[in-house]
Amino acid sequence: MKVSELAERVGARVLTPATDSVEVVRVYASDRISDLLNEVTDGTLLVTNLSNSTLVRLIQLMDVASVCLLNGAEPEEPIIAAAQEHGAALMVSPVGMYETCGRLYRAFGGERP
Amino acid sequence: METATYTIIGGDYDCGGTASKCLKELLKKIGVDAHAVRRTMIAAYEAEMNVVIHANKGKMKVAVDPTQVDVIVADEGPGIPSIEMAMREGFSTAPAIARNLGFGAGMGLPNIQRNTDRFSIQSALGEGTQVRFTILLKPEDLSAAAANSVYVEAGRCRQCLACLRACPTAAVRVREGEPSILDHLCVDCTSCIAACEADALTLRLDAALPSPCEETLLVLPASFLEQFGGDVRPQQVLDVLADMGFRNTRLTEEWEDALRKAVCDYAAESGRAHPVLSPMCPAVVNLIQVRFPSLMEQVAPFRTPIEAAYEELTVPRAIHAAASKETQLCFVPVCPSQHSLLRLQRLLTKVELVSPAALVNSVRAPLSAQDRCLPRKNVIAMENQGVLQVSGMRHVMKVLDAVENGMMEDYAVLELYACDQGCFGSPVWGEDPFVARARWDRVSGPTVSGAQPFRRTAPLRGRAGVRLDADMRKAMDKLAKLDATTKSLPGRNCGVCGAPTCAALAEDIVMGRADISACAYRNANGAASEKRPCP
Repeated sequence: MKVSELAERVGARVLTPATDSVEVVRVYASDRISDLLNEVTDGTLLVTNLSNSTLVRLIQLMDVASVCLLNGAEPEEPIIAAAQEHGAALMVSPVGMYETCGRLYRAFGGERP
Repeated sequence: METATYTIIGGDYDCGGTASKCLKELLKKIGVDAHAVRRTMIAAYEAEMNVVIHANKGKMKVAVDPTQVDVIVADEGPGIPSIEMAMREGFSTAPAIARNLGFGAGMGLPNIQRNTDRFSIQSALGEGTQVRFTILLKPEDLSAAAANSVYVEAGRCRQCLACLRACPTAAVRVREGEPSILDHLCVDCTSCIAACEADALTLRLDAALPSPCEETLLVLPASFLEQFGGDVRPQQVLDVLADMGFRNTRLTEEWEDALRKAVCDYAAESGRAHPVLSPMCPAVVNLIQVRFPSLMEQVAPFRTPIEAAYEELTVPRAIHAAASKETQLCFVPVCPSQHSLLRLQRLLTKVELVSPAALVNSVRAPLSAQDRCLPRKNVIAMENQGVLQVSGMRHVMKVLDAVENGMMEDYAVLELYACDQGCFGSPVWGEDPFVARARWDRVSGPTVSGAQPFRRTAPLRGRAGVRLDADMRKAMDKLAKLDATTKSLPGRNCGVCGAPTCAALAEDIVMGRADISACAYRNANGAASEKRPCP
């Protein structure tokens, strides 16, 4: 599913341009860096509360395809800049981890993507 | 080869990850593929953040060539009290500030291990920690690493079949006039090399000796010093080596003693199941993986002495050596199992491998010109601290069988060696192993050096070994076919077919490595009924 389509279904706001080219085939949610590092693939959307320098590094080092932040929290400038530089799609969901994951699950038809 | 060194500053969370970022740019410029870059980044970032979280400062040293990415991350930090605990998933000592940033989940070191092809860690309290890992860029290097180090010189084979009968794991075949070795069964012991009188099976090492420089360190087995007769003192041999330019030498015995002590301490811990198997001889560790997987948990969690020596001597050099200063480390592997451990070179810590036979030859001439001294006095041999030593593959197999049957619980520690009298019995030597060992025991005392045992971080894994197929159902089908085939063979174990026993030939047939027509006896007696065309 395209990032833009997924964002619309979840009610998330997309912060980076040119998101139509990014395809999401699976979703992984965690707040632990070690978990996130291991789960990055070209088609994975990472859902996380981490919104700091660590996320900047994650985007820079791992070529993350797409990230969904939570609770409507506006990310700081370095995160947006890193996402743009590395072609990662960045979106912010208005709700928390639990509900965001519920919406993503439904968006993929209830099937584990 | 590209090399680079990056500095890491402890406590600076904002800059944490910059070294990894520089490394990523380097890898991209060279054109390392995306998957390998990701694996390297996971390991590098985890290692870098460990320095940021726990240490004052550190550095990341990197070397890249088309075959591998080799990385050492060394810090000047507090050190790790227990590597065993640190490697446990979920164990962490990270402060709250790191946890708030998503670190401190206790997954860092296991994560590095999981994403790399080779991983090791050393730590000294109050001094620092060194994490090193290697990522292989060519899959064929992985299979080369798994392959054994017994080399076949086919032209010399007289087809006497001695190797066939000597191999404890039935890994040798002699077909079409030459021996071949089944990698999945070979444990890199010396049985076939010792049995071969035609020198068709050898340890392939360049006969040319490296030319030593000021900084050269030569790492030797003690058995080397006893290859020149009873009237030559070990010190004389070392003096001759010094005259040749090898002024700095260390004996692998130092790490053997360090391991022995560590294993005895480990065995003495309460609740430990006995006997503990000491990982002294790499060939015996291989044998346990192939033939006695049920005993893997009884092997003490340390690396073999040769690996410990390699890590302890190479890693600090790689970190601290000034680029201008030439350093050279030479190892003398005395058997295929040691050779296998040293063969796959890592970029940052390359070592020269010296042929033991060539070294003996070059020392012998100058020694013979020297005065011989009187026979040595008896000195009481070092106490063995209650360790049962067993050597020789035949005995080792029997003892491991007994351990498997629970018959050896009256011993705390078993130290098993593939060769008779340990490394003194390697076929590369000329002196009789019992004689050389006894002479050495007369003069040697406990070694006093800073040699450290080296902890194993990943559990031993079983090898495919005797399993017929990865799929259990297919394996059972093959087993039925194997039984039927074995029954159809004469059972005389003549070896003419090139397999050591009829059962081994039956397995070769089932696994597609041979045809039943290889059986000479069956051809002679059953050719009419089989209507097999003559070869």
